[in-house]
Amino acid sequence: MTFGDLGRNALSNLGRRKVRTMLTSIGVIVGILTIVTMVSLGIGVRLEINKQFKAIGLERVFIRPQEGERNFFTQFAPPQRSKPITDAEVARWRQLPKVKEVVAEVDLPLGVASGLRIGDRTQQISVEGPANALNQVPFQQPPTAIAGQIELPSTAGSMVLTAGALRELNIGRDQAPSLVGQSVEIVLQAPRGEQQAFSFTVVGVSTDESPVVRVPLPDRIAMKSWWFNKPELLKSDGYDSVTILADDVNTASALVGQIRAEGFRVQSLELILSLADQVFTVINVMLSSVGGLALLVASLGIVNTMIMSIYERTREIGTLKAIGASRGDIRLMFMLEAGLIGLMGGVIGILAGYGLGKLLNRVILWYIEREQLPVRGDFFVVTPSLVLYSLLFATLIGIVAGLYPANQAAKLDPLMALRHE
Amino acid sequence: MHTAAPIISARKLARRYAMGKEAVMALNGVDLEIQRGEFVALIGPSGSGKSTLLNLIGGLDRPTSGEIWIEDLELGKATDKRLVHYRRDRIGFIFQSFNLLPTRSAAENVEVPLMLAGVGRRQRRERALQLLAQVGLAKRAGHKPNELSGGEMQRVAVARALANQPALLLADEPTGNLDSKTGKEILNLLRDTIQAQGLTLVLVTHDLNVASCADRIVHMLDGRVAQIEIADERAARVELAEEVLP
Ligand SMILES: Nc1ncnc2c1ncn2[C@@H]1O[C@H](COP(=O)(O)OP(=O)(O)OP(=O)(O)O)[C@@H](O)[C@H]1O
Ligand SMILES: [Mg+2]
Repeated sequence: MTFGDLGRNALSNLGRRKVRTMLTSIGVIVGILTIVTMVSLGIGVRLEINKQFKAIGLERVFIRPQEGERNFFTQFAPPQRSKPITDAEVARWRQLPKVKEVVAEVDLPLGVASGLRIGDRTQQISVEGPANALNQVPFQQPPTAIAGQIELPSTAGSMVLTAGALRELNIGRDQAPSLVGQSVEIVLQAPRGEQQAFSFTVVGVSTDESPVVRVPLPDRIAMKSWWFNKPELLKSDGYDSVTILADDVNTASALVGQIRAEGFRVQSLELILSLADQVFTVINVMLSSVGGLALLVASLGIVNTMIMSIYERTREIGTLKAIGASRGDIRLMFMLEAGLIGLMGGVIGILAGYGLGKLLNRVILWYIEREQLPVRGDFFVVTPSLVLYSLLFATLIGIVAGLYPANQAAKLDPLMALRHE
Repeated sequence: MHTAAPIISARKLARRYAMGKEAVMALNGVDLEIQRGEFVALIGPSGSGKSTLLNLIGGLDRPTSGEIWIEDLELGKATDKRLVHYRRDRIGFIFQSFNLLPTRSAAENVEVPLMLAGVGRRQRRERALQLLAQVGLAKRAGHKPNELSGGEMQRVAVARALANQPALLLADEPTGNLDSKTGKEILNLLRDTIQAQGLTLVLVTHDLNVASCADRIVHMLDGRVAQIEIADERAARVELAEEVLP
C-alpha cells in the first residue's frame, strides 16, 4: 500500500465514526491546549521581563563590600567590613577600559531616626540617594517632576521631595511648587542622646510614591559619619554600593568575575536574568506537566477507541488479510488512524490554546490598564517551534497509543477474523 | 491437459485442530492434483473438511503435516511474506457471505487488492470499472454493498477476486447465500470467466447440481478424498441449460 492510500483509508475510517473520533480527540485537545497556553505564557512573560531588564540596561554591574553576618543585636551597628570600597578602588575602576561611568553610593543605615522639618512641622522620613538603576523597579514608570527639577545636583545641601513624602507631611500636591526653593532641615536623633540638624534647599518634587527624601552623596556621608560618630567614615567603612556602567554586556559579564575575584560582592542584571530564566524553565515544565497528564489520559482514550474499532472491524480485517493485506499493512493502517486522532486533537488544541492566550491577554491588559502599569504587549506568545513541537507531540501520543491495538489487529488470524460476527 | 504439471498438488495433507484434550482431524491425508484450467468441485457432508482444504490451498491456513504445492511454491513452509504475496497476486477468494468492505463502493471494493499491490489510483479505477462491466455491474460502480442485492454483491466479489489477474479462483459455497436462480447466474459467470481466461477454479458446495457443472467432483468424507468423479462435460451443460434447479 502506498502512503497516500493509507492516509485516505485512515481518514475515511475516522469519518465513519465522527462523534467517537471527536470525543476521543477531546482529551488530546485539552492536553495540547493546556501545554500551548502554559508554554506560550512562559515564553511571553520571559520576553517581557527580558525587555524590561534590557530597558534598565544589562551593561550594569552592582558591587557591594563583603560583610559579616548581622543579627538582631548588631543590625543597627556599623557594618564589619574586611575590605571596604574605598575611593582608591572607585578611582581604579573608573580607569578600567570600556567603563563608561562609576557611581559610588553611601546609604543611611536602617534605623536612623531622621525627621524632616518644614517650617514648624517635623515628620519621620527615610533619607535616600537619587533614583538610579539600582532602585528603579521593572514594570514601573520612572518618576516625573511635579515641581522644580528632580535631577538631584551632586552639590551638598539640595533635596528632592517625593509625592509619597508630601502625603506623609499632609501637604497637597498643588502646594508642591511653593515648596521649591524653600529651606528645610533634617534632624537626626542619635541613641546616645545627641541631636543634629542638617540644612537643605528643596530643588523639586517627583511623582515617586515612596515616602522618602533624596539628598546628594556628600550630605549622606556627613549624616552617616555623625550617626556612627566616625569622622573618617569613607576611609574606615568605604562606600555601601558602586554601580559600574560598562560599554556593553560582555564587558559587564567580564567585570563581574574580575571584581568578585578582588573580594567584593558583585551582581549584574544579566546574572539575575539568567536566574529568572532558570526559574521560568522550571515553572514552565511544571505547568506543562499538567497538560502532559491530560495527554496521558487522552492516550488511554485513544487506546480504548482503537480497541473498540478494531473489534467492530474484525471481519473487515479478516477480509483484507485473506485478499492479500500484510501484517504491516494492517498495523500501519491502525497506527495512522490513531496518529491522525492525535494530530487532529493537536491542531484544534493549538488553535484553542492560541485563542485562549489572546483572551487571557486581553484580561491581563485590561487589568494593567486599570493599575496604570507601563507594560503593553503579549504575555502569550505562540512561536512556530511551539506549534511544531505540539503537533509532533500530539501525533506521537496518538501513534504510541495506537501501537498496541494496531499490533493486535495485525496479529489477527484471518480465518478467525472472518468467522467473527 | 493432464500431461502438464498440475497447478495444485496436495500430498498426504493433514490438518489437526486441538480442541482441549481431544484433537479433530479436519484433514487426514489428502492426495489431490488439480490441473491448470480445471474446474473442480469439492463436495461432501458438513464437517468433512472441504473448507479446511480450500483454506490450505488459499494459504489462509497451514497444514499440520504433508505438502501443498501451488506450482513451484510449497505453502506449508513458505514465509509469511510469500504467503501474503501469494494470496494477493496469485489467487482470488470468493466467500459465501461476500465479505465486501461495507463502507466502500462497489468499485472501491474491487480496487482493494490493487491498492494492496500498490497500483496507482487512476489505473486501478480503470481496471475496477472494466471488471464491474465484465460481471455486468457497470451501472452499480458507485453503490455501497448495502445498496446491492445478494447476487450483485457476489458479482462485485467475483470482480474483486479477478482484480489482480490470478491464475486460481477459490470459492467456498459462493451460491450458499443466494436463491437458486441467482446462484445459477453466479455459477455461469464463474464458469464463463474461467473458460474465457483459462483460470483454474476450486469450488466448495453442498449442491450436487452446482457440482455437476465442474470438470471433476471431489467427494470428501472425514477429512479424506472418498471418490473423484469425472463429470460428463456435455451432460452437465445440458443439465444446467434445461433443468430448473429446485
Ligand atoms: N478452527 C477450528 N478449530 C477446531 N476445529 C475446527 C476448526 N475449523 C474446522 N474445525 C473442524 O474441522 C472439521 C472440518 O471442518 P470444515 O470447516 O473443513 O468442514 P466443511 O466440510 O467445510 O463443513 P461445512 O460443509 O459445514 O462447511 C470439522 O469437524 C470442524 O469442526
Ligand atoms: Mg465449509
